[in-house]
Amino acid sequence: MTAAISLIVLLVVLGSSIAVAAGMGLVGVVLNQLFSPMPLTRVTGELTWSTTTNFILTAIPFYIMFGEILLRSGIAGRMYTALVPWLSWLPGGLMHSNVAACALFGSVSGSSVATAATIGVVAMGEIDKHKYNEPLFLGTLAAGGTLGILIPPSINMIIYGVMTDTSVPKLYLAGFIPGFILTVFFSLTVLIACIWKPHWGGEKIHVNWREGIPLLPDLLPPLGLLMIVIGAIFFGIATATESAAVGIVGALAITAWRRRLTLTMLRDVCEATVRTTAMVVAILVGAFFLNIVIQAIGLTQQLSQLITAYQLTPVQVLTAVIFLYLILGTFMEELSMMISTIPITTPLMVQAGFDSIWYGILIVLLIQTAMISPPFGINLFVIHGIRGRGTLSDVEKGAAPFVLSLLLMIVLICVFPEIVMWLPRIVG
Amino acid sequence: MGRLQAIAEGISRVGAIVGGALLLLAALVICVDITLRYTISKTLGGADELSGYALAIASAWGFSAALLSRSHIRIDTVYVRVRPRVRVALDFLSLITFTSFIALITWHAWGVLRQSYVSNSHSLSEIEAPLVVPQSLWFVGLVFFVAVALLLLVRSLHALLTGDLAKVFALIGSKSAVAEAEEEVRATERAMDEGRRP
Repeated sequence: MTAAISLIVLLVVLGSSIAVAAGMGLVGVVLNQLFSPMPLTRVTGELTWSTTTNFILTAIPFYIMFGEILLRSGIAGRMYTALVPWLSWLPGGLMHSNVAACALFGSVSGSSVATAATIGVVAMGEIDKHKYNEPLFLGTLAAGGTLGILIPPSINMIIYGVMTDTSVPKLYLAGFIPGFILTVFFSLTVLIACIWKPHWGGEKIHVNWREGIPLLPDLLPPLGLLMIVIGAIFFGIATATESAAVGIVGALAITAWRRRLTLTMLRDVCEATVRTTAMVVAILVGAFFLNIVIQAIGLTQQLSQLITAYQLTPVQVLTAVIFLYLILGTFMEELSMMISTIPITTPLMVQAGFDSIWYGILIVLLIQTAMISPPFGINLFVIHGIRGRGTLSDVEKGAAPFVLSLLLMIVLICVFPEIVMWLPRIVG
Repeated sequence: MGRLQAIAEGISRVGAIVGGALLLLAALVICVDITLRYTISKTLGGADELSGYALAIASAWGFSAALLSRSHIRIDTVYVRVRPRVRVALDFLSLITFTSFIALITWHAWGVLRQSYVSNSHSLSEIEAPLVVPQSLWFVGLVFFVAVALLLLVRSLHALLTGDLAKVFALIGSKSAVAEAEEEVRATERAMDEGRRP
């Protein structure tokens, strides 16, 4: 009963447009007043200090900073151009380059919004040149962008790892194969759409792959960074946080090599990084406090008892959780949705017998789905913002087939959990 | 009072830049540390600890920068569908809860800082950093947030009393997610352009 009331109160408070960080803090204070004999508000000072000095969480500003530097390094544009000759012969042309560029950029970026925004800005100029079906073209960018958080590194996986005590490197390993399969699914979606309606694929681009060879060096900087950032973690040379720090230095080196490193640029990078970081950290502080209260009042045990009392099977629990996120995801901002709910759903899923690494990947896929599901889908807004004309519903329409691919991917990892678990098992 | 806010914006901007510079510095120290670890199997020690302090200080100072640019996340599904008067009420509700929550943290943060000072605490690592130093910078960042939030509260109350709802919105309103995304996109475009110029 307490559990149901708490969850409803939380959703009402957050729904009333109170800043998410404060909303979670407020619910924590109220629950503490009502149900706990201990004045837990006293720990807020210590808790904020220990949370914000957590070394694993330092990876978050590092990845954000890494992304801010990459933006200014000019590698995204060159990378996109270098991919074009290799992929644009397929039915759907540049739309495959969009997906591939997002996947490649996603493997150095930990954020979906940053991936969609960066590749979106680079690709948008091409839409009129080749007469593509506009909604589908926009859809590839919105959906491709979501790969940023599935393909490691991933800010969302770091947050999930810290909040649920799950190994971040294992989550990274687990995201790799699903990330690859989903990239292929997105490309297949374009292919099927363009075979079914050939005019959607725009004018055929005649490129000789020989022209692609001189451009290959432009793929080296992102691939090099990928090797450093991901390789170091996979081979156990560095932790997730350390590898992000190395990434920053690598990105700075590329920027300097391209003669783009200036003091103004560094100042802007610092300011933008802190602004974004503070937003995320504020929510985390609220969530960590709420989490402590939830544990102190025995809310998670209550939920577990609920499962036993009603003799729910794992499949029923799983289905309920998936539907919960599909519904929440339509109207809730994605980061807040994840942070405010995983302290409740993760123990529930683990109790029902699911592995917390596997569940982490499921959560990421559900967030990706939420990011391109109307009415609230952050990537839809980003791509609409870049396009600067037409209506939001064009982007929504174009993203719809990719929502289907994501749902298919979710079903796939539910039926074959090994897709997720195989890599962390053999390496870990 | 507008000038006071301009000053606050200036300070919080400097706070954010310095916080970011601390993070950048921490990243460099970590890289040096890794290099030393794999070349002469030695470490500087404390690189992870220092980056933790950098995150705490940077985020405490960043809270106010994000508040001033109205970029703290709010769920606006209901917000955009209600009448302007209700919206203004929600804006005040949001600002007041946010201020109270951070004030609560700041109050107890003072306890943390005082405790470190009284018992002269040092970190449990090889560098044995005196905790008072990073905790003071962190605490001042939090106090600054509360001050900025109160300033915004006074200014928006004043605007409300003079019936200037547009100004209330400009000070403390929730930007719609669409507008937020638009800003993100402009910032991305600017950043990519900035790079292009030599």
